[in-house]
Amino acid sequence: MKTTEQLTDSMFYIMAALTKPRHGYAIMNLIEERTKGAITIGPASMYTIIKKLLKQDWIYLYDGSDPRRKTYLLTQKGKEVLEADVKLRKLMIDLAEMGLKEAEE
Amino acid sequence: MRNTKYVMSGGLAFSEGKDMDKLRRFSLKGWHVRDFTLMGYKLEKGISTDYIYSVDYRSLEENEAEEYFDFFNSAGWSHVTSEGNIHLFRALPGIRPIYSDRETVVEKHDNLGSSMKWFTLSLLFITALVWLGTFISTGLLQTILNIAAVILSVIAVPTLWTVLTIYNNKWRVEGKKGLSKLIKLLPFLFLGIAIIILLVIDDSSNAFLTLAYMIIGAVILPTVIWIIMSLYHRLFGEKV
Repeated sequence: MKTTEQLTDSMFYIMAALTKPRHGYAIMNLIEERTKGAITIGPASMYTIIKKLLKQDWIYLYDGSDPRRKTYLLTQKGKEVLEADVKLRKLMIDLAEMGLKEAEE
Repeated sequence: MRNTKYVMSGGLAFSEGKDMDKLRRFSLKGWHVRDFTLMGYKLEKGISTDYIYSVDYRSLEENEAEEYFDFFNSAGWSHVTSEGNIHLFRALPGIRPIYSDRETVVEKHDNLGSSMKWFTLSLLFITALVWLGTFISTGLLQTILNIAAVILSVIAVPTLWTVLTIYNNKWRVEGKKGLSKLIKLLPFLFLGIAIIILLVIDDSSNAFLTLAYMIIGAVILPTVIWIIMSLYHRLFGEKV
């Protein structure tokens, strides 16, 4: 197994939305829009994860001038973690798709 | 006609879900929560609306509060009231839940539990020390320590119970069924130990006896309160 723990799904979505500076509400909207409503993040989960990602140094406070709408951005470390996780998730998808294909043959 | 009324809480650690359902039923009848009170909620008469309620536990720094409440607001959850680290929100049905995954629900319970953990552990430690003191002291000092020990136990036992219930909630979300079952057995375990103490020791002035009675009292009292409260709710709760 790899040394880094796999990201939870919600952490993965939120990090994927923070490749550009965004505030909480924008993150929730972006995830919902891009997944056509299939994935939503509740505000309490969102807040919990933002705090956690900050603590891990995977994101940082990009602009805190509006206390209601603080924006965050991935750090270099965060970007690497996300990229590694995308690779792993791609493998997971491949595994399942190959399996399903096999079943059709 | 009265414009405010008070309803009892089952204790958020013990019956968060039930409390939230109850608040929703009251809102449907036009009674909306305004505030937390010592043992429950203060409701105010308004227009009947189908509101759903959710509670979150979080300690917020001064510069964090605005952002935190804005997250909820923009997701359709309006802030009703807060009491310390407990924040109550309401929304119209169909709004996404405040927690959308299991991992963060686990952290919610963990937040609440760890905020009480050190207080509870120190309280238990001090209580144990004072009990120890009553066993090894004599005379006036023993009497004083004994009274102190009883008072401390009266506070410590319900506190311990609450914290265990919070962690039990956490373990249930995590799917640790074994631990969850263990917690349910604890009151019976305590009761068993107390009864054994009573049977083994026949010197009636022994401090162990007081301890045993305390434990029995601590287990039976909440049970009795619980029975009375459920009876009360069954008899009067639905007749709003």
